[in-house]
Amino acid sequence: MMRTFTKKELAHYNGKNGLPAYIAYNGEVYDVSESFLWREGKHQVIHHAGEDLTDSLDQAPHGAELLERFPVVGMLQED
Amino acid sequence: MAKVTREMVERSGVNVDELVERLVKNAAAELTTYYYYTILRFNLIGLEGEGIKEIAETARIEDRNHFEAIVPRIYELGGKLPDDMKEFHDLSACPPASLPGDPTDVMAMLKVLVEAERCAVRGYTHICNLTAGKDHRTYDLAQAILNEEIEHESWFSEFMGEGPSGHFLRRGETSPFVSKFLK
Repeated sequence: MMRTFTKKELAHYNGKNGLPAYIAYNGEVYDVSESFLWREGKHQVIHHAGEDLTDSLDQAPHGAELLERFPVVGMLQED
Repeated sequence: MAKVTREMVERSGVNVDELVERLVKNAAAELTTYYYYTILRFNLIGLEGEGIKEIAETARIEDRNHFEAIVPRIYELGGKLPDDMKEFHDLSACPPASLPGDPTDVMAMLKVLVEAERCAVRGYTHICNLTAGKDHRTYDLAQAILNEEIEHESWFSEFMGEGPSGHFLRRGETSPFVSKFLK
Protein backbone atom coordinates (compact mmCIF):
# COMPACT_ATOMS: atom_id res chain seq x y z
CA MET A 1 0.00 0.00 0.00
CA MET A 2 1.26 3.47 -0.92
CA ARG A 3 2.42 5.73 1.87
CA THR A 4 0.50 8.96 2.39
CA PHE A 5 2.54 12.10 3.10
CA THR A 6 1.35 15.25 4.79
CA LYS A 7 2.98 18.44 3.50
CA LYS A 8 5.03 18.56 6.69
CA GLU A 9 6.28 14.99 6.18
CA LEU A 10 7.08 15.75 2.56
CA ALA A 11 9.11 18.79 3.61
CA HIS A 12 11.43 16.49 5.56
CA TYR A 13 12.66 14.86 2.33
CA ASN A 14 14.45 17.91 1.04
CA GLY A 15 17.48 16.14 -0.45
CA LYS A 16 19.93 17.82 1.90
CA ASN A 17 22.45 16.16 4.21
CA GLY A 18 21.97 12.77 2.60
CA LEU A 19 18.18 12.73 2.89
CA PRO A 20 16.17 11.54 -0.11
CA ALA A 21 14.72 14.20 -2.40
CA TYR A 22 10.95 13.86 -2.81
CA ILE A 23 8.66 16.16 -4.73
CA ALA A 24 4.91 16.12 -5.19
CA TYR A 25 2.99 16.61 -8.39
CA ASN A 26 -0.76 16.23 -8.82
CA GLY A 27 -1.13 14.30 -5.58
CA GLU A 28 1.68 11.83 -6.21
CA VAL A 29 5.05 11.90 -4.46
CA TYR A 30 8.11 11.16 -6.61
CA ASP A 31 11.61 10.20 -5.48
CA VAL A 32 14.02 12.30 -7.58
CA SER A 33 17.09 11.53 -5.44
CA GLU A 34 18.87 9.80 -8.32
CA SER A 35 18.52 12.72 -10.69
CA PHE A 36 21.61 14.73 -11.54
CA LEU A 37 19.31 17.72 -11.85
CA TRP A 38 18.13 17.43 -8.24
CA ARG A 39 21.52 17.39 -6.51
CA GLU A 40 21.28 18.62 -2.92
CA GLY A 41 17.54 18.86 -3.37
CA LYS A 42 17.71 21.87 -5.67
CA HIS A 43 16.56 22.03 -9.28
CA GLN A 44 17.23 24.75 -11.86
CA VAL A 45 17.97 27.47 -9.31
CA ILE A 46 14.50 28.03 -7.83
CA HIS A 47 12.86 24.67 -7.13
CA HIS A 48 13.37 22.70 -3.92
CA ALA A 49 12.71 19.12 -2.93
CA GLY A 50 10.22 18.54 -0.14
CA GLU A 51 7.62 20.69 -1.87
CA ASP A 52 4.47 20.29 -3.92
CA LEU A 53 5.51 21.51 -7.39
CA THR A 54 2.15 21.08 -9.10
CA ASP A 55 1.77 24.81 -9.79
CA SER A 56 5.45 25.33 -10.62
CA LEU A 57 5.41 22.69 -13.33
CA ASP A 58 2.92 24.72 -15.32
CA GLN A 59 5.63 27.35 -15.81
CA ALA A 60 8.47 24.91 -16.39
CA PRO A 61 10.01 24.41 -19.85
CA HIS A 62 9.05 20.73 -19.67
CA GLY A 63 5.93 18.76 -18.97
CA ALA A 64 5.02 16.16 -16.39
CA GLU A 65 6.26 13.41 -18.69
CA LEU A 66 9.78 13.87 -17.31
CA LEU A 67 8.51 12.78 -13.91
CA GLU A 68 7.65 9.37 -15.35
CA ARG A 69 11.36 8.54 -15.09
CA PHE A 70 11.17 8.57 -11.31
CA PRO A 71 9.53 6.16 -8.87
CA VAL A 72 6.31 7.14 -7.13
CA VAL A 73 6.79 6.60 -3.40
CA GLY A 74 3.45 7.77 -2.10
CA MET A 75 0.52 10.11 -2.28
CA LEU A 76 0.27 13.65 -0.93
CA GLN A 77 -2.53 14.17 1.57
CA GLU A 78 -4.86 16.96 0.57
CA ASP A 79 -5.20 19.90 2.96
CA MET B 1 30.86 44.05 -13.43
CA ALA B 2 28.93 46.45 -15.62
CA LYS B 3 27.18 48.37 -12.86
CA VAL B 4 24.58 50.24 -14.86
CA THR B 5 23.93 47.18 -17.01
CA ARG B 6 23.05 45.19 -13.92
CA GLU B 7 20.98 48.03 -12.53
CA MET B 8 18.94 48.26 -15.74
CA VAL B 9 18.19 44.55 -15.65
CA GLU B 10 17.25 44.70 -11.97
CA ARG B 11 14.92 47.64 -12.62
CA SER B 12 13.15 45.67 -15.33
CA GLY B 13 12.04 43.19 -12.68
CA VAL B 14 14.46 40.36 -13.40
CA ASN B 15 16.00 38.64 -10.36
CA VAL B 16 19.61 39.12 -11.47
CA ASP B 17 21.15 36.74 -8.94
CA GLU B 18 18.87 33.95 -10.11
CA LEU B 19 19.54 34.82 -13.74
CA VAL B 20 23.30 34.75 -13.16
CA GLU B 21 22.99 31.37 -11.44
CA ARG B 22 21.09 30.05 -14.45
CA LEU B 23 23.74 31.42 -16.82
CA VAL B 24 26.52 29.77 -14.80
CA LYS B 25 24.66 26.46 -14.82
CA ASN B 26 24.16 26.69 -18.57
CA ALA B 27 27.78 27.66 -19.11
CA ALA B 28 28.69 24.52 -17.15
CA ALA B 29 26.34 22.48 -19.32
CA GLU B 30 28.00 23.82 -22.47
CA LEU B 31 31.56 23.16 -21.37
CA THR B 32 30.84 19.72 -19.97
CA THR B 33 28.85 18.81 -23.06
CA TYR B 34 31.81 19.90 -25.19
CA TYR B 35 33.94 17.49 -23.16
CA TYR B 36 31.49 14.57 -23.29
CA TYR B 37 30.76 15.13 -26.99
CA THR B 38 34.48 14.88 -27.65
CA ILE B 39 34.38 11.32 -26.29
CA LEU B 40 31.17 10.51 -28.14
CA ARG B 41 32.57 11.87 -31.38
CA PHE B 42 35.70 9.73 -31.14
CA ASN B 43 33.53 6.66 -30.62
CA LEU B 44 31.20 7.36 -33.53
CA ILE B 45 32.92 4.92 -35.85
CA GLY B 46 31.99 2.18 -38.29
CA LEU B 47 29.34 2.22 -41.00
CA GLU B 48 26.65 3.73 -38.79
CA GLY B 49 28.76 5.89 -36.54
CA GLU B 50 30.68 7.70 -39.27
CA GLY B 51 27.45 9.13 -40.68
CA ILE B 52 26.71 10.92 -37.41
CA LYS B 53 30.25 12.06 -36.70
CA GLU B 54 30.00 15.30 -38.70
CA ILE B 55 26.94 16.67 -36.90
CA ALA B 56 28.30 15.52 -33.53
CA GLU B 57 31.49 17.41 -34.32
CA THR B 58 29.59 20.55 -35.31
CA ALA B 59 27.46 20.38 -32.16
CA ARG B 60 30.60 19.84 -30.09
CA ILE B 61 32.34 22.94 -31.45
CA GLU B 62 29.20 25.06 -31.21
CA ASP B 63 28.65 24.05 -27.58
CA ARG B 64 32.15 25.26 -26.81
CA ASN B 65 31.29 28.50 -28.62
CA HIS B 66 28.19 28.82 -26.46
CA PHE B 67 30.31 28.54 -23.34
CA GLU B 68 32.59 31.31 -24.58
CA ALA B 69 29.63 33.49 -25.51
CA ILE B 70 27.86 33.11 -22.16
CA VAL B 71 30.81 33.75 -19.84
CA PRO B 72 31.21 37.49 -20.56
CA ARG B 73 27.53 38.04 -19.76
CA ILE B 74 27.96 36.31 -16.40
CA TYR B 75 30.72 38.73 -15.43
CA GLU B 76 28.90 41.76 -16.84
CA LEU B 77 26.01 40.98 -14.51
CA GLY B 78 28.30 40.64 -11.51
CA GLY B 79 28.64 36.86 -11.47
CA LYS B 80 31.68 34.63 -11.74
CA LEU B 81 32.64 31.08 -12.58
CA PRO B 82 33.43 28.76 -9.66
CA ASP B 83 37.14 28.43 -8.85
CA ASP B 84 36.81 24.66 -8.69
CA MET B 85 36.12 22.89 -11.98
CA LYS B 86 34.67 19.85 -10.18
CA GLU B 87 32.10 22.13 -8.60
CA PHE B 88 31.44 23.68 -12.01
CA HIS B 89 30.80 20.25 -13.53
CA ASP B 90 28.36 19.27 -10.80
CA LEU B 91 26.21 22.36 -11.03
CA SER B 92 25.56 21.87 -14.74
CA ALA B 93 22.02 22.61 -15.93
CA CYS B 94 22.04 19.32 -17.85
CA PRO B 95 23.11 15.79 -16.91
CA PRO B 96 26.44 14.47 -18.23
CA ALA B 97 26.22 13.27 -21.85
CA SER B 98 28.18 10.15 -20.94
CA LEU B 99 29.32 7.49 -23.38
CA PRO B 100 26.77 4.62 -23.35
CA GLY B 101 27.83 1.30 -21.85
CA ASP B 102 27.96 -0.14 -25.36
CA PRO B 103 29.66 2.53 -27.49
CA THR B 104 28.94 0.54 -30.67
CA ASP B 105 25.21 1.03 -30.08
CA VAL B 106 24.66 4.03 -32.33
CA MET B 107 21.01 4.45 -31.33
CA ALA B 108 22.09 4.67 -27.66
CA MET B 109 24.67 7.30 -28.69
CA LEU B 110 21.99 9.28 -30.53
CA LYS B 111 19.73 9.09 -27.50
CA VAL B 112 22.44 10.64 -25.34
CA LEU B 113 23.03 13.36 -27.93
CA VAL B 114 19.38 14.25 -28.47
CA GLU B 115 18.63 14.27 -24.72
CA ALA B 116 21.50 16.70 -24.18
CA GLU B 117 20.17 18.99 -26.89
CA ARG B 118 16.62 18.80 -25.56
CA CYS B 119 17.83 19.78 -22.12
CA ALA B 120 19.59 22.78 -23.67
CA VAL B 121 16.52 23.77 -25.70
CA ARG B 122 14.41 23.74 -22.53
CA GLY B 123 17.00 25.75 -20.61
CA TYR B 124 17.46 28.52 -23.18
CA THR B 125 13.75 28.73 -23.89
CA HIS B 126 13.28 29.38 -20.19
CA ILE B 127 15.99 32.06 -20.14
CA CYS B 128 14.39 33.72 -23.18
CA ASN B 129 11.03 33.67 -21.43
CA LEU B 130 12.52 35.24 -18.30
CA THR B 131 14.38 37.99 -20.12
CA ALA B 132 12.12 38.86 -23.08
CA GLY B 133 11.44 42.58 -23.14
CA LYS B 134 13.51 43.08 -19.98
CA ASP B 135 17.15 42.09 -20.35
CA HIS B 136 17.73 42.66 -24.05
CA ARG B 137 21.36 41.52 -24.20
CA THR B 138 20.84 38.25 -22.32
CA TYR B 139 17.72 37.61 -24.39
CA ASP B 140 19.64 38.17 -27.62
CA LEU B 141 22.39 35.82 -26.48
CA ALA B 142 20.04 33.11 -25.23
CA GLN B 143 17.97 33.33 -28.39
CA ALA B 144 21.07 32.99 -30.58
CA ILE B 145 22.17 29.91 -28.64
CA LEU B 146 18.64 28.51 -28.70
CA ASN B 147 18.62 28.75 -32.49
CA GLU B 148 21.68 26.54 -32.68
CA GLU B 149 20.50 24.09 -30.01
CA ILE B 150 17.23 23.62 -31.90
CA GLU B 151 19.17 22.75 -35.03
CA HIS B 152 21.33 20.27 -33.11
CA GLU B 153 18.24 18.61 -31.69
CA SER B 154 16.66 18.34 -35.11
CA TRP B 155 19.79 16.81 -36.68
CA PHE B 156 20.02 14.04 -34.08
CA SER B 157 16.27 13.55 -34.02
CA GLU B 158 16.32 12.96 -37.78
CA PHE B 159 18.90 10.18 -37.40
CA MET B 160 16.71 8.60 -34.72
CA GLY B 161 13.94 8.26 -37.27
CA GLU B 162 11.68 10.92 -35.76
CA GLY B 163 11.22 12.69 -39.10
CA PRO B 164 13.10 15.11 -41.35
CA SER B 165 15.02 17.85 -39.59
CA GLY B 166 14.20 20.43 -42.23
CA HIS B 167 17.74 21.74 -41.84
CA PHE B 168 20.86 21.67 -43.95
CA LEU B 169 24.34 21.00 -42.65
CA ARG B 170 26.47 24.02 -41.84
CA ARG B 171 28.05 25.49 -44.95
CA GLY B 172 31.57 26.04 -43.74
CA GLU B 173 31.63 28.11 -40.58
CA THR B 174 30.09 27.02 -37.31
CA SER B 175 27.78 29.04 -35.04
CA PRO B 176 25.87 31.12 -37.61
CA PHE B 177 23.74 32.65 -34.84
CA VAL B 178 26.22 32.91 -31.95
CA SER B 179 29.30 34.06 -33.89
CA LYS B 180 28.39 37.74 -33.41
CA PHE B 181 29.07 37.28 -29.69
CA LEU B 182 32.49 35.79 -30.32
CA LYS B 183 34.02 38.62 -32.32
